Amino acid sequence: MTGISKLALLAAAVMIAQQAVAAEVHVLNWKGYGADEPWAVAAFEKATGNKVVNDFFNSEQEMLTKLRTNPGLYDVVMINAAFNDQATTEGLIQPIDVSGIANYKDLGPEKAQSPLLNHDGKIYGVPWVWGLTSIAVNDKAFDKTPTSIQVMWDEAHKGRVVLRDDALEAIQFGAIATGQDINDIKDMEVVKAKLASLMPQIRTFWGAENDWNQMVAANQIDVGTYWSGSAGRAKKNFKLPVTFVVPEEGAVGWLDAFSIPAGSKNVDGALAFIDYMIDPAFYVEWDNKVGAPVSANVKAVAELPADAFNRAVMGDPEVASRIRFQAPVSDADRERYLQIWQELKVNVQ
Amino acid sequence: MSPLTRLLEVVGRLFVGLLLAFLYLPIVIMGLMSFNASPFYMLPIEWSTTWYVQLAGNAQLVDASLYSLKIALATALIATTLGTAASLALFRYEFKGKKILQALLLPPIAIPWLITGTAMLVFFFGVGIGRGLHALILGHVALALPYVIIVNNARLKTFAPELEEAARSLGANQWQVTRRVTLPWIAPSVVAGALFAFAVSFDQFVVSYFLATPGQTTLPVEIYAAIRKGFTPEINAVSTIIIVLSMALMLFTARFYKFGGND
Amino acid sequence: MNGNSTLAAHRSQGMKAAQLLFPAYLWLVLAVFLPLSAMVFFSFVTEMPFTGKPWSMTVANYAAFFTTGIYAKLLLSSLRLAFEVTFWCVVLGFPAAYVLAKVLKGRSREAIFLLVILPFWSNGLVRVFSWAMVLRSGGILDTLLNAVLPFKVDIDLIYSYPAVIIGLVHSYVPYIVLTCYLSLQAIDDSVIEAARSLGASRFTVLRRLIIPLSLPGIVAGAVLVFVPVIGSFMEPRILGGRTGTFYGTVIEDQFVAVFNWPLGAALSFILLAVVLFILAAASPVMRRSA
Repeated sequence: MTGISKLALLAAAVMIAQQAVAAEVHVLNWKGYGADEPWAVAAFEKATGNKVVNDFFNSEQEMLTKLRTNPGLYDVVMINAAFNDQATTEGLIQPIDVSGIANYKDLGPEKAQSPLLNHDGKIYGVPWVWGLTSIAVNDKAFDKTPTSIQVMWDEAHKGRVVLRDDALEAIQFGAIATGQDINDIKDMEVVKAKLASLMPQIRTFWGAENDWNQMVAANQIDVGTYWSGSAGRAKKNFKLPVTFVVPEEGAVGWLDAFSIPAGSKNVDGALAFIDYMIDPAFYVEWDNKVGAPVSANVKAVAELPADAFNRAVMGDPEVASRIRFQAPVSDADRERYLQIWQELKVNVQ
Repeated sequence: MSPLTRLLEVVGRLFVGLLLAFLYLPIVIMGLMSFNASPFYMLPIEWSTTWYVQLAGNAQLVDASLYSLKIALATALIATTLGTAASLALFRYEFKGKKILQALLLPPIAIPWLITGTAMLVFFFGVGIGRGLHALILGHVALALPYVIIVNNARLKTFAPELEEAARSLGANQWQVTRRVTLPWIAPSVVAGALFAFAVSFDQFVVSYFLATPGQTTLPVEIYAAIRKGFTPEINAVSTIIIVLSMALMLFTARFYKFGGND
Repeated sequence: MNGNSTLAAHRSQGMKAAQLLFPAYLWLVLAVFLPLSAMVFFSFVTEMPFTGKPWSMTVANYAAFFTTGIYAKLLLSSLRLAFEVTFWCVVLGFPAAYVLAKVLKGRSREAIFLLVILPFWSNGLVRVFSWAMVLRSGGILDTLLNAVLPFKVDIDLIYSYPAVIIGLVHSYVPYIVLTCYLSLQAIDDSVIEAARSLGASRFTVLRRLIIPLSLPGIVAGAVLVFVPVIGSFMEPRILGGRTGTFYGTVIEDQFVAVFNWPLGAALSFILLAVVLFILAAASPVMRRSA
């Protein structure tokens, strides 16, 4: 053990002594992502007597950094399944005893048993919600909703296309557009060339859901990469002319799961919180009030109205066949993707 | 006064007016949008106070704003005191390594706050300083100090050291010299430094983000953490309230405080 | 005075200075320099030590700056951006500071002085989003101009280099106004009047008297603008669109998009070295007039 980590542990011990308050559940998640909805927190606190303390991260890297530098502080952490393996390997999260989670049995088996969340026969993540990264269109710009990803390259939409400023998403998008496997990109040169030819089409690189919605509201863009949950929310809650497309070439699927950090001081509270998060009652209210991705709980999805996007479209087996779920990406690959992405962005100027 | 002088003065005032217009354009937009019912800033504006109503019910955002205010005030006070003392030393004395000390003010400004903040997070945990109010103030003051010192130094360069000498030769001790001669001269830059320090702290995101106790956030953290989802005009509403209140406070202060005027 | 007493004088001066300097620099050491030293160390490793992966010392992170063309290219465009922003800040800020210090009198001066600082107290991100609102086509500026002008104009500055300049100048110009004001206000009006009465033209007074005397303020302000702008990434990213990739962006990415603190730290220290080099090269010019 290095000096630094020894000191960090010592610091953690001091923190533990200071925070002897029982029955607090410290949750680390994106802001505005279900777990911090005031009504949900209130309902959970009333039902279990635990007090929820939310903390947030702005990127997956930052989430990992917060776990590394705050051992023992958090009880529940929301981790994208593609990062679960890394968190497990680094010893940041602990195996979960799912017998304490009543709703676990209702999770879709392919999600619950995903090799992304299970290592050495132990469960390191409880799948919560999943969704797609694909494209969405501004209905005002299309008479007929396009079905192919190639619409992003259509000259007719030049200067009205957006792409998220994210290296991994961009490269995987390029892989789909060139008919490659997102988890095993064989020909990176083709991906590079394809993305380079997309650059002149681009209006801007978006960063936040709000950017996207504003640009559509002001009718400044026609098409761009987007997340399924956000597109659903834009259409349903904000009444924006947005349609999410799962193109024939395929779409990237992601799975968000809850884990319990190593050193959690309130594992029981953590289990109760996770149980509440995958409960149908919470999910239906969340999707209804705010708009949510698709629950990993089969019963929860079944309780949505029959025409709900998350049930009708995302539950369609034909759509499901086009989804390719993200596998873990090694640090080396991430760095390589980032470099390619930076070069693409620099050379466009 | 010659007609040309008068003309130049009019042009000058006009120029300041235009600069103020430029400075306040986005602030006014922010205020207008806080009264726009559309969360996507759609035009024409559909007038509504809905965001203010929502803000009143958003205890977290209000708490965060008050917490930020508290930290910024503490930061301004500490950074101004320590920074002014340091700038006096840099002005008054010749000693080895002065150039290096001055150069050392640059890294906290030059290195993006993201990197400094990350470094603080790692270091504070390594040595057991941890998170919380103390860590926040530690970090904020450190980032604000260079601004205070640089601003004071700029003013002190216009100060004639003979004035201090003269006061000393008249029998004033060091503290009297400082209080009666030097400080009045640099009062404007001390105030300006304090205002900068306040602004640095009040807008500081990264350090607060890493070092605040979970559950107790600051306003910039609320704003930045919300951008993935897209923040609501509630944030415009709270920013508008803050600007209006500070404007009232400042104009009130300006009535009673003569700011470096020797006219 | 002989050498010994000079040395003694220096030493006692040093002691007195130390008392005043100690609190501020102790604070800086504890909260900035020690953490940054940790970062210096990280910039020389292959993997972050606390992840449990094997790591070793290396200079590869610094070498990457020279072997990967885009970093140097981006640093150059960031420098250009910082020069342009500083230039515009001085062009806008100095005359305003002069009017504040020498033309306006009494309470209106105090009020306007404070009004210049006030925008600083609003959140940077909120300001930038407001600019996006102003600059886009169909936005505020577009709508306003078309309401006033008899002919149709299409203002669509958003997602362009000028938008980045506008956003950054807006964020940083108060520094220049303030620091220039502080040194301009210190110039005695009677000196200017004396020069004028001796027949010096306005331009001569400006060039030979006012600018040299206020140079410390201009320099301090320029430093406070130039230095942070080189590493900025938020304003360029939001306002610049496709053209918004700068040196600060690639540093940020090493911390946010990937877990490559060693490279991010190395790029930051290269930035710091370049900043120090530029300021050192410029310092004879500054000292001559200060």
